[in-house]
Amino acid sequence: AGYGPHNPPQSVAQVTDQFQQMGLVQGLNLTNPLIPIDLHTTRPQLEDLEAPPPPLQIPADASLTHSETANCPPEFMRCTLNAIPKDHGLLKKSKLPLALVVRPYITLREEEAPVPVVGDSVISRCRRCRAYINPYAIFIEGNTRWRCNFCGLSNEVPAGFDYDMMTNHGLDRWKREEINHAVVDFIAPKEYMVRAPPPLVYVFLIDVSYNAVTSGLVATAARTILESLDRIPDNDRRTRISIVGVDSNLCFFSLHKDRAEPEMLIVSDLEDVQLPRPDDLLVGLHECRAGIENLLTHFNEMFQHTQNGSNCMGSALEAAHKMIGNLGGKAVCLTATLPNVGTGKLVPRDESKLLGTPKASSLLQAQNSFYRSFPLECSKNQMSVDMWLFSSQYQDVASLSCLPRYTGGQTFHYPSWNASREEDAFKFAHEFSNYLSMEIQLEAVMRVRGAVGLRMSAFYGNFFNRSSDLCAFPSFPRDQSYVVEVSIDEDLKSPFVCIQTAVLHSTCHGERRIRVLTMAIPTAKTLNEVYASADQVAIAAYMTHRAVERALASKLEEARESIVKTIAGICETYKKNISGGISLQLPNNLKLLPLLALGLYKHIGLRDAAVPSDMRAAALCLLSTLPAPALMNYILPRFYSLHDMPDESGRPGPNGIVMPPRMNLSTERFERFGLYLIDDGQSQFLWVGREAVPQLIMDVFDLSSINELQSKKGKLPVLENEFSERINGVIAKSREYVSGLLYYPNLYIIREDGEPSLRQWVLSHLIEDRTDRGYSYIQFLNLLKEKVNA
Amino acid sequence: MDFDAMEEQDGVRLSWNVWPSTRLEASRTVVPIAALYTPLKERDDIPPVQYEPIACKQPYINESSVDMRAKLWICPFCLQRNQMPPHYKDISPSSLPMELLPKFTTIEYTLGRPLQVPPIFVFVVDTCQDEENLEALRDSLIVSMSLLPPNALVGLITYGTMTQIHEIGYTECAKSYVFQGKKNYTAKRVQDMLGILPANMRPQQPSGGPQRPSGVAARFLLPVSQCEFQLTSVLEQLQKDPWSVASDKRPTRCTGAALSVAVSLLETAFPGAGARIMLFAGGPATEGPGSVVSIELKEPIRSHHDIEKDNIKYYKKAVKFYENLAKRASTNGHVVDIFAACLDQTGMLEMKSLSNMTGGALILSDAFTTSIYKQSFQRMFNKDAQGHLQMGFNASMDVLTTKELRVSGLIGHAVSLNKKTPMVGETEIGVGGTCAWKMCGITPRCSYGVYFEVASQTGQQEGPGQGQSQKGLIQFLLQYQHSSGVFRLRVTTICRAFMPGGHEAIAQSFDQETAAVLMARIAVFKAEIDDGPDVLRWTDRMLIRLCAKFGQYGKDDIASFRLAPNFTIYPQFMFHLRRSQFLQVFNNSPDETAFYRHVLNRENVNNSLTMIQPTLTSFTFDKPPEPVLLDSVSIKPDAILLLDTFFHILIFHGETIAQWRKAGYQDQEGYQNFKELLEAPRADAGELLVDRWPIPRYIVCDSGGSQARFLLSKLNPSTTHMSGNMYGGPQGAAIFTDDVSLQTFMEHLKKYRPPYPLA
Ligand SMILES: [Zn+2]
Ligand SMILES: [Zn+2]
Repeated sequence: AGYGPHNPPQSVAQVTDQFQQMGLVQGLNLTNPLIPIDLHTTRPQLEDLEAPPPPLQIPADASLTHSETANCPPEFMRCTLNAIPKDHGLLKKSKLPLALVVRPYITLREEEAPVPVVGDSVISRCRRCRAYINPYAIFIEGNTRWRCNFCGLSNEVPAGFDYDMMTNHGLDRWKREEINHAVVDFIAPKEYMVRAPPPLVYVFLIDVSYNAVTSGLVATAARTILESLDRIPDNDRRTRISIVGVDSNLCFFSLHKDRAEPEMLIVSDLEDVQLPRPDDLLVGLHECRAGIENLLTHFNEMFQHTQNGSNCMGSALEAAHKMIGNLGGKAVCLTATLPNVGTGKLVPRDESKLLGTPKASSLLQAQNSFYRSFPLECSKNQMSVDMWLFSSQYQDVASLSCLPRYTGGQTFHYPSWNASREEDAFKFAHEFSNYLSMEIQLEAVMRVRGAVGLRMSAFYGNFFNRSSDLCAFPSFPRDQSYVVEVSIDEDLKSPFVCIQTAVLHSTCHGERRIRVLTMAIPTAKTLNEVYASADQVAIAAYMTHRAVERALASKLEEARESIVKTIAGICETYKKNISGGISLQLPNNLKLLPLLALGLYKHIGLRDAAVPSDMRAAALCLLSTLPAPALMNYILPRFYSLHDMPDESGRPGPNGIVMPPRMNLSTERFERFGLYLIDDGQSQFLWVGREAVPQLIMDVFDLSSINELQSKKGKLPVLENEFSERINGVIAKSREYVSGLLYYPNLYIIREDGEPSLRQWVLSHLIEDRTDRGYSYIQFLNLLKEKVNA
Repeated sequence: MDFDAMEEQDGVRLSWNVWPSTRLEASRTVVPIAALYTPLKERDDIPPVQYEPIACKQPYINESSVDMRAKLWICPFCLQRNQMPPHYKDISPSSLPMELLPKFTTIEYTLGRPLQVPPIFVFVVDTCQDEENLEALRDSLIVSMSLLPPNALVGLITYGTMTQIHEIGYTECAKSYVFQGKKNYTAKRVQDMLGILPANMRPQQPSGGPQRPSGVAARFLLPVSQCEFQLTSVLEQLQKDPWSVASDKRPTRCTGAALSVAVSLLETAFPGAGARIMLFAGGPATEGPGSVVSIELKEPIRSHHDIEKDNIKYYKKAVKFYENLAKRASTNGHVVDIFAACLDQTGMLEMKSLSNMTGGALILSDAFTTSIYKQSFQRMFNKDAQGHLQMGFNASMDVLTTKELRVSGLIGHAVSLNKKTPMVGETEIGVGGTCAWKMCGITPRCSYGVYFEVASQTGQQEGPGQGQSQKGLIQFLLQYQHSSGVFRLRVTTICRAFMPGGHEAIAQSFDQETAAVLMARIAVFKAEIDDGPDVLRWTDRMLIRLCAKFGQYGKDDIASFRLAPNFTIYPQFMFHLRRSQFLQVFNNSPDETAFYRHVLNRENVNNSLTMIQPTLTSFTFDKPPEPVLLDSVSIKPDAILLLDTFFHILIFHGETIAQWRKAGYQDQEGYQNFKELLEAPRADAGELLVDRWPIPRYIVCDSGGSQARFLLSKLNPSTTHMSGNMYGGPQGAAIFTDDVSLQTFMEHLKKYRPPYPLA
């Protein structure tokens, strides 16, 4: 993903009087063209999903320096409407949502997409609305003051803009990063600190009960941490870690820099968990490296003969909270067992009676109040919780995932994981190692400000909404995104309005910083303008968050109905107010919306079927946290035909391996002799037609006949033939479809005539086809048409 | 009568060796019929008998009437006729089983009950200590492992702010279970938290083949031979309690919780097996159950004055807690030893029941670096000639009497087994209402005072011929687990004559030393319950009554008052007992009082007398060392005194000696005799130390030195500042005290001749 201009600069008008500029901008007001598409007759082109949203039509000279990077790239922040209705009435009439999709960090590590840094601690903010100076501010009164582009207040330009007090040098203010770039980092001075930036802290709560040991989780987790020690950010040598084994007891380890031998301290009193030591439990990664390595090396052996089948993860979390409550940090739970003893203990819920019924939604709610109250405690004391779940039985992902949800954490689900399968071990180790290397931000708060008239009315994602517009993140991950709903409280008079997202945080390297994203969005007077600039990806992301919220708060049915209602409302509005009565048209930029809605409707997270609640809960976690491109991929998987791919596909091109064209998600494209790849970003399926020719089987699998091929999770051999290389190339490239994520999808090799349940699973991704309780795409369009015409 | 020879044979000394035949007469003799019995007294001449004893329901064949021809024997205690067992078929006057030989009135049987478990030792170690102390303690514990039998099971519990049970069977790394110090966990909780099954719920091991150690044995309590390395390494790593202590606070120390966990662990895993919990406390409990003092330094630990004024916030609760623990330990046959090492008090007063009720040791020292601690601890593991530890476990004692005698009670380290038989008397002295007690831990130095009453109201009506005295029998049956791994039964049967009241033989049979010790035990037992002054009054009253009964004097002639030789020093013993630390507590801390009384209740006649009336030996030129009066007149400038109070051994240099010594004459040529004089008391002290236990405090001081107060406090104040210097002259030293002197005491005593009412 690039961080570059995505809006080609318009002609630069050299205007000296900036007051005059406003007039000129109005004169030059550009709009996006409205291209109507008939949904029934136009097959959706899925490649369009990867296209940029309708451009933000802001003249380059609207910004202070006419910089090409003045407006925010959609990777960081995108709006459902790239032309915002000028008043609430128009927004309401449009039936389109107004919301932002925000991802303040787009890579796992900063160096992969560095953002300009304002390092001199001169931070100019509006005295009234506290907005940060940005490329759309206006210098007035001989450049001595600046007018806030959010509330209009006139503010003094700080002396530091023109003069460096430290070196006694004059400065060129026009080169300042914050007035040239929409995305900048400020290094914050002391006033922005309640305390010195805390160190990076990880408390690993590793399930060491029977399931975890026998599945190989304990060994793999310990080995991965050991091998990733150098990847954990620790520039300032302040990073601290603790390792706690969890079964029916808490096994703490005391480490000391002068002693390589760990000391195991077992705490069994779960009613009122106390730490067994005042110190030496949470130790410096650098300082106690020898002890940590020694412990991790022997960790599995320490528990290998266990018969303990219980797990007290809730109590373990309380202990972690006690341990790091004064510092903050991450509690990393790795568990293969339902927490069945101690605080927040859970019981297996009887799914068999509820699955597939309207009451299935109750399985998605936390069964114990601990999972609602404890995260708030964590948030208060800057502790994030991440859940890595590995059980082969019911684990109550729904309850457990509440902890990450409110603490800026994440839930990672590996159902029936077993280290004896190389793929399982590799996937987890790869993702966990990536996770450990991620440069997270600490004790972060995010606030979104809008111009006068705009109000941030709702927030979606994994954090705690501390006050009306302040979202708190004990730790801020780099691989999640957030949705903010915006309401229009007052008419918007100016030709464009600005929205600014600021994330105040400490870096994991001990700096206090503020990341500021500023976006200027044109305003619109007509529905045509609004529709022509709407962003279907952002709208789908918004719909997803709303649906997840409904699924968790009330019923799955309601979530699905709301999807249909929203999309029908949009089609109806378009028919009534724009197309002049023609049924089922949408503008070109929204033409994939019905398919996205259908994808969401039939997604495993919301699907009307007997989906095991753990699978569903885990899917809902992804739906509510994945960044937009990954989310689109998760809703509408990519589908490629490989046996007949074009010559250039699978071979290197200017942007790496060239991918074959994306196909519609329907079995109608299946040839009985074909080879296909379906990839939703979490899993990859290599589909082998039942009549695949022996040569193909030989070239791809090194087998003499398809009968020797088994449906399974596995690896594709890399063979010395061109086709094998190309297919391996495509699969590898497909894996990197969205950058800045830590996931490593598993590859499943599926024979058309193989294991029926696997086959069924793959086919459930082809959402344009009809399923038991799900519409085909055509049926869905007909349904919309019915509703629109009703 | 040769009391020493009787003691030598049976380990028993009696206050009276001829007994008045009626209840009334017995009460007039004031001092009850009582025995100080040392059951495990070492006797090389009694090899343990390798067969089972023959029992009449309860009693054992010994001193019984045997009908050789009919192969019958009549039980002297219940008069029942019993058939001889088949293997006694060859019995004849020339071929008697050992127990029928007069030489073996004391005999030790080896019982057939096989032992499942070797002796168990659980160290409970306080880590709230400075490094020096901790190191000394660590070293002593590591050394002790080499003193234990290789099959003995050992375990380690450490405590400070929290309690840690170390899983020494785990070899991957040091591992321990941590319990909160502020909580009192039930045995069930401890068991759950450690993940262990109680003994009766463990899966049955298939019989035959080697026994696989079950959970606890494999994890927390392992044979020394197996875990020595791991335990040593844990001990070597043992650090000071890591929780910080503010300068105005005491360390957070959860002694009670740690002991409770130890008791629970053994209770769950090895109920009824011989085990010792050895507590090493460096200070008072300040946290959780059994706390004896606040964590705030500004609140001092309770003194005798506080207790007297009932100004004790923690005392009663703590006492109750430890008593309850002691009961549990004792029920399970487990011993609790307490080694306290602290300049201040550690709460021994509150904890004493643990040792007193389980036959455990109580050792008081200033630090773990002292030889008092180190050697006393090491001597716990003394071995007999066969190399077995000289400690028995799980001991219990039954006392049987013939019908003229009843058991009143026992004073010593034991608890009642509540065994009610017709042999239990009406009056209670000490732990009464039973004729059986449980000792748990027992060593050859443990002596028990057993008190009796005469049952007959009327005398020898049914006795045989006139003039022929009737005999009474007492049989002591002490069963215990020998550290070699077998159960043994030691049976001592003694036989004494009854005489009509007033018979001179009764007075002649008085053993004044034993009587003094047995009366001292009663006085101390009373002092634990009653107010100090009441006990003193009781002591006086008993003495006066004894003197009135057995003293001889001319009519209206106080000066003619005389006591028979075997009564003469008894009043002196009582005088010293009155002013001893056992009854006069205010010069000592409550912990010290608990300690002194504990030791008095264990030791034999000779040792107890040393405690009651310390010995003083004088060393001067040209004279062999001689015992001198425990009196200020014995202090002479040119003499060295050697004082033995049992707890202290003190060498005191008279003024001149001290000056010469400071001048260094002993190192100069021609002063060989002075050098020898200086060395003589040291050599004697060394001999005293050889088998003294606990190791006494050893003090060398000079006249006028501050340490000399230890001596002065023990001396009879014949020349006090009250009496002026009329008789003292240059040879005596004035003692600053309000105490009456022995002479004054005796004068007063004489005045109380009859008609003092005999109540
Ligand atoms: Zn403002
Ligand atoms: Zn009998």
